[in-house]
Amino acid sequence: MDLVYQLLFTGIGIGSVYALVALGFVLIFRATNVVNFAQGEFSMVAAFLMVIFAVDLEWPYWLSLILSLGGMAIYGALFNLGVYYPLRHRTYLPVIISTIGASILVTNSTLALYGPQPQVLSNLLDFQGINLGTVFFDSQYLLIIGVTIVLVAFQYWFFEHTLLGKKLQATSQDKEMASLLGIPVAAMIMITFVYSAMIGGLAGILVAPILFVSIHMGGTIALKAFAATIIGGFGDVAGAIIGGLALGVIETFGAAYVSVPYKDGFAFLVLVMFLVFRPQGIFGERVAEKA
Amino acid sequence: MSHFTRRQIAAGLMLGVAAPAIIRSASAQSATLKIGQVVPITGPAAEAGKYAMAGAKIALEAINKNGGILGKQVEIITEDDQTTNPGAVLAFSKLATNADIVGFIASIRSTQMHAMAPDILKTGKPTMFGGTDPTLTKLDNPWLFRCRPNDTYSGKVIAEFGVKELGLKKWGIVHSTDAFGTNGMKALDESLKALGITPVVIQGYANQSQDFTPVVLALKQAGIDILSSYFTFEGDLGIFARQLRQLGVTAPWVGSPSIVNTSAIKLAGPALNDTYGVADYAEDSSPEAKAFANNYRALMKVAPDNQSSWTFDAMNLLAAAINKAGKTDPAAVREAMLSIKGYKGAEGEYNFDKNGDGLHGYNVVKNVKGSIEFAKHIEFPS
Repeated sequence: MDLVYQLLFTGIGIGSVYALVALGFVLIFRATNVVNFAQGEFSMVAAFLMVIFAVDLEWPYWLSLILSLGGMAIYGALFNLGVYYPLRHRTYLPVIISTIGASILVTNSTLALYGPQPQVLSNLLDFQGINLGTVFFDSQYLLIIGVTIVLVAFQYWFFEHTLLGKKLQATSQDKEMASLLGIPVAAMIMITFVYSAMIGGLAGILVAPILFVSIHMGGTIALKAFAATIIGGFGDVAGAIIGGLALGVIETFGAAYVSVPYKDGFAFLVLVMFLVFRPQGIFGERVAEKA
Repeated sequence: MSHFTRRQIAAGLMLGVAAPAIIRSASAQSATLKIGQVVPITGPAAEAGKYAMAGAKIALEAINKNGGILGKQVEIITEDDQTTNPGAVLAFSKLATNADIVGFIASIRSTQMHAMAPDILKTGKPTMFGGTDPTLTKLDNPWLFRCRPNDTYSGKVIAEFGVKELGLKKWGIVHSTDAFGTNGMKALDESLKALGITPVVIQGYANQSQDFTPVVLALKQAGIDILSSYFTFEGDLGIFARQLRQLGVTAPWVGSPSIVNTSAIKLAGPALNDTYGVADYAEDSSPEAKAFANNYRALMKVAPDNQSSWTFDAMNLLAAAINKAGKTDPAAVREAMLSIKGYKGAEGEYNFDKNGDGLHGYNVVKNVKGSIEFAKHIEFPS
């Protein structure tokens, strides 16, 4: 039974990372109706910022974390201005191509600036983890799960109980109507990009001590997070969380009980099954309708 | 107005067609001698690629300082393989179109070597490589020359060391499911069976995995008393090593060469302390290895590993073979390469066999708090 608990804990831990990145996907999709294929690079850039502040400059972790997330807020704003805003009146296709281009540019720029070496970022907490019986709870996974819970609660409160949150929701539901009601749509979209970059960045910083910091870390996570958003229901916040967690648990148990080499295959098998039998995902609307 | 005869026009046309070739030939006579290198500049192995280029560069500088090859200065032309099979094929194809290139230094990755092998056969020029899949020198491809011992030897050395020196019997094997990892696992499995041992658990994994919990739990449940591994990428090895120790597996670990790579030691940290590795390159294994280490440290400011030592040897061996042949004709260089016996390189003593395998033994080394200590060398007859 301990084996099951260990797998469940790890699955939820890795699933929480997918969920956080998926959340970023969903927020931008809801606001702009396009998929941001540079979402994974938000995680990578934030992790490298953390390496610069915490490892290279040896500043305190808490300060490095604040500066990295602040840096991601600026990055999100610049990303909006450079990648989305100039193409906002075009169809979704040029914007998607623009995000793919941005992804390649950011990855190669990081390679040119920082080199190809994977970097080590130590755990954010001072202890490695705790043993309960024969089950080991990695402190970093505990932190990731905790942050995911807090962030989901914060997001619920923010979107349901604040004026800014409601303005953002109104913008994502109907931009024209929101504009007619006096909501500054461009500013709302800007805030969405900033928030999305910060969430993606936080996921990158949290997972960096486990997966190391490398220019390819974002791509791997983003692929799974993208699958999670489709499983959960594209455009649905709760769906992104449930989809991410489900994906993490399914691939971990699939690897343990069926086959390790096909671990990624289980995640994408589930994705294909959803696309065939329930394309709207667990909570969402059909992707085809949204596109 | 003068009129050209048909003969004059034909002669003019012929001259026009032949001129570029004549000019190219003339410039080739005076130009440098070129070696092509396929190397990962981007992708997950980009760091290893940097080391591979440094190894070849150290050899190149020494060769040029000593008069070059056949009296000409030497130049290396690199192409990025992007750490992918299609990237490797594309990189080699681009280099192969350059008729001035007289030999190649290809990949340390067996999967990429399999992908490039058909083009290497078509190009028909000596190609040095570092991939350790034993089947690579049995493809009926006369242009492949291996500068590292193959996994038949690594499997034998791991098995002999674990069973005879450490006296352990309950083996667990973890391997990448790519060509390198799978064939390495098979070679080790065969070597263990030859010693009367069947591994209690064999676990494959796909490269670029983010989590090894199921693998570690399988090892734990099987109750292994010794672990062996064939990891392709150091990042995977780093994640696995940490999770292995966190989940309480403390069995002795004898790994394939990647376990003692500079990158792996940096990423995994103390999780790799007290592990053993079979290493084709070990700094204290010979005066040549030591001399290379000193030159490498002066250039790169870090300790060398097999990513750089094999390209260093590959460049030197190409130079030695071409000089021995006295010309760049591929068949003559091949013959000269196969006749190399007792050449002392950074990786060990090269004695090429008819298949193109240059090395026939491995060093066993131990990670003592992050520094690699030479334990012993095990050599097999070629």
